[in-house]
Amino acid sequence: MTSPAASLSAVRVPKWAFAVSLLGLIVTYLVLQENGLALGAGSELLHEFFHDGRHALGVPCH
Amino acid sequence: MVTYKSLALRGIAAGGIAGVASALVQLLVTEIPIRAALAVEEARAPAGEQAGHSHGGEDELVSRGAQIVGGMLGVVIVGIAVGLVFATAYALSKRWFAGSSPFTRSFAFGAAVFGAVALLPWLKYPANPPAVGDPETVNYRTALYLGVVVAGLVIVWAASWLAERLRAQSQPVRTTAVLLAVAAATAVVLLAFPAPPDTIPADMPVNVLWQFRLSSLAQLATLYVGIGVVFGLLVDPATRKAEARVAEASV
Repeated sequence: MTSPAASLSAVRVPKWAFAVSLLGLIVTYLVLQENGLALGAGSELLHEFFHDGRHALGVPCH
Repeated sequence: MVTYKSLALRGIAAGGIAGVASALVQLLVTEIPIRAALAVEEARAPAGEQAGHSHGGEDELVSRGAQIVGGMLGVVIVGIAVGLVFATAYALSKRWFAGSSPFTRSFAFGAAVFGAVALLPWLKYPANPPAVGDPETVNYRTALYLGVVVAGLVIVWAASWLAERLRAQSQPVRTTAVLLAVAAATAVVLLAFPAPPDTIPADMPVNVLWQFRLSSLAQLATLYVGIGVVFGLLVDPATRKAEARVAEASV
């Protein structure tokens, strides 16, 4: 009898998984937080395009 | 044998599905107070006179229609990205509700993540609609917001650690101790962080403000709890199949 936890502990998390997760966090940052730090002038267009989503998800905005 | 890749793909799928659900809540619910708030902003100054920011008018950078579509697209993209990170954290979280079914583990994890990265910041720094917020303080407010999010995630991690440490205790004692510790830590975070720096302008109707805040919370719950539920549904049968195969092979 294998418990669910036992089968999960068999999951090996490869190193690239951390790179993939970092990418996920960067994408989240660009959509929700970018205020000009990473993209400079392009960020204003990005900010305005995702505007309603930023407000709706409760992220501080302008 | 469950592979990380199979979990990651299910995380992306769960994030996409919960993101679409959250985007629909935005279109049908949150856009109503956003529209009312934009009317307040419009009434305040002639179009285009606010520095570096526009919501329509002659010199608009992005049209209102594009902002609605872009906002929904942004929620879906964030859902997919969070789903991927969620799957990785799930794969690493060996002690989180160990012994429970994968669905229970995933659902409880989604609910905890909602509490840490959405409900806690919402309690301390409630979401504000357009026409509220001083552009001068946006970086300060962003730092405070991210600080609360990090504090919330630390509380979830510490609760899991404490639950593991108290494994020798009876279930009621263990649950009560963990809940009390989480409540105390939450109170400390709420008291330690400074008050929100922005005052609500007098021309913003209170009902619009709170309709927006509650819509925002509903949308966040749809996204995060949704990821936990959908990921649990996707991962549970898959894990059982993998176990069945292992059992078969060992016979």
